[in-house]
Amino acid sequence: MISLPAALASLSMLIAIGAVFLYAPADTPPQMGSTWPYVQRIFYFHVSAALSAGISYVLVFVGSVQYLRTRADRWDRFAGISAELGVLFSAFVLFSGPIWARPIWGVFWRWEPRLTTMLITFTIYVAYLMVRSYGEPGERTQRFAAVVGVIAFVNVPLVHYSINMWAADQQQHPVQVELDPAMQQTKLICYFAFACLYFLLFRLRLQQERQAARLQVLQQASHA
Amino acid sequence: MKALPGTWGHVKLLLRKDLVSEWRTKERLSPMVFFVLLVLLVYNFGFELGGAALWEIGPGVLWSSFVFASLFGLQRTFAAESTNDCLDAILVAPVERGALYLAKMLGNVLFLLAVQLLTLPLFGLFFNLTPGLYLLPLLPVFALGSASVASVGTLFAAMAGHSRLREFLLPLLVLPVLIPALISCVAATGVILAARIPGHSPAMWPPELTVHVGMLGLFAVVFTTLAWMLFDFVIEE
Repeated sequence: MISLPAALASLSMLIAIGAVFLYAPADTPPQMGSTWPYVQRIFYFHVSAALSAGISYVLVFVGSVQYLRTRADRWDRFAGISAELGVLFSAFVLFSGPIWARPIWGVFWRWEPRLTTMLITFTIYVAYLMVRSYGEPGERTQRFAAVVGVIAFVNVPLVHYSINMWAADQQQHPVQVELDPAMQQTKLICYFAFACLYFLLFRLRLQQERQAARLQVLQQASHA
Repeated sequence: MKALPGTWGHVKLLLRKDLVSEWRTKERLSPMVFFVLLVLLVYNFGFELGGAALWEIGPGVLWSSFVFASLFGLQRTFAAESTNDCLDAILVAPVERGALYLAKMLGNVLFLLAVQLLTLPLFGLFFNLTPGLYLLPLLPVFALGSASVASVGTLFAAMAGHSRLREFLLPLLVLPVLIPALISCVAATGVILAARIPGHSPAMWPPELTVHVGMLGLFAVVFTTLAWMLFDFVIEE
């Protein structure tokens, strides 16, 4: 039987896709060229994914600090799953950004500050996941991961600031424009769909991790 | 009876031990300096070095060779302590973990700074750099750059021995975290070297240098403090 979160995520994602392609108007500011009305629609998912990634990184930090304070396995799991989702959604952002950039800027990549910041943050959290997956399973690896989780999070504003300084002449990001009400609604529908998807993935991974931990306890008991 | 040393006393003792052992063996300094020379050679054949390229890629070449060499040096931070279980002996001694971090971190700063100062003439030679007093502001940039590398590098070096990735882990962690510091190092070095471009301001300390050096200082202070606080969690056995 399909679970409620799965049903909700699928349904809301379908509605979001419908809204992005059918409901949201193809608003074309004159300076943007003819491909803009189609390409611009990628932003609904691009921004939702970026938001999801950002929230994930906050959760990794919370989980890491809480783990170091309490040493409870559940906080370690919480941080680990958040990092996986953060990397997943960041990867989506890093894919959808260049897809948008190619028709608009003529190139896939131009070291635009926000995307560059996302790329560097992405590499830090991939390294975090490597600390987790290549460490000997156990308490020490959990501690190391938590320490990296704290360092990585504190680094994000520094990366953001220094990249902005470095790419001062690269500020090519579309400026904030007054959104049409239908566009605004589409954006919110996409946020909701991504929140549902996030919750679903988080819950699935959590169940998986709990099962794995339970299995390990059983295996140890059977060896004893 | 002599009073037991405080935290700073411990830091000094541990630092002295590392410096003396390095002075006797040259186990870290010589290979690092040689490695910088090799990287500079590799870059020479990768790009056309010398002449006009100095302003364009000089700072990047300089700092990337430093950073790669420092990764080798950082690997050795705790390696010497694994012989005869020296690290366990230090941990059993009534020494704060924070003192151990600070001693190792300061040791790394000194090693990195020494490598930079020893290899700057090589860099100058290959790039036809005119020697002069205008290079003096490189000193704070080198010092803060070394402190930035050592701040996170020392913390992560303590982890590296315990992963299946071994010597892979350190660069994977250090390089992405270090990028903000690296940007400032390269930018500051670029500003200093640009003093020799005809038509540029011959000022000893151009105002934009303050921004980059300030950013480096911020990075070094934030991550030294944070790593010092987190070191207890890394080393606790």
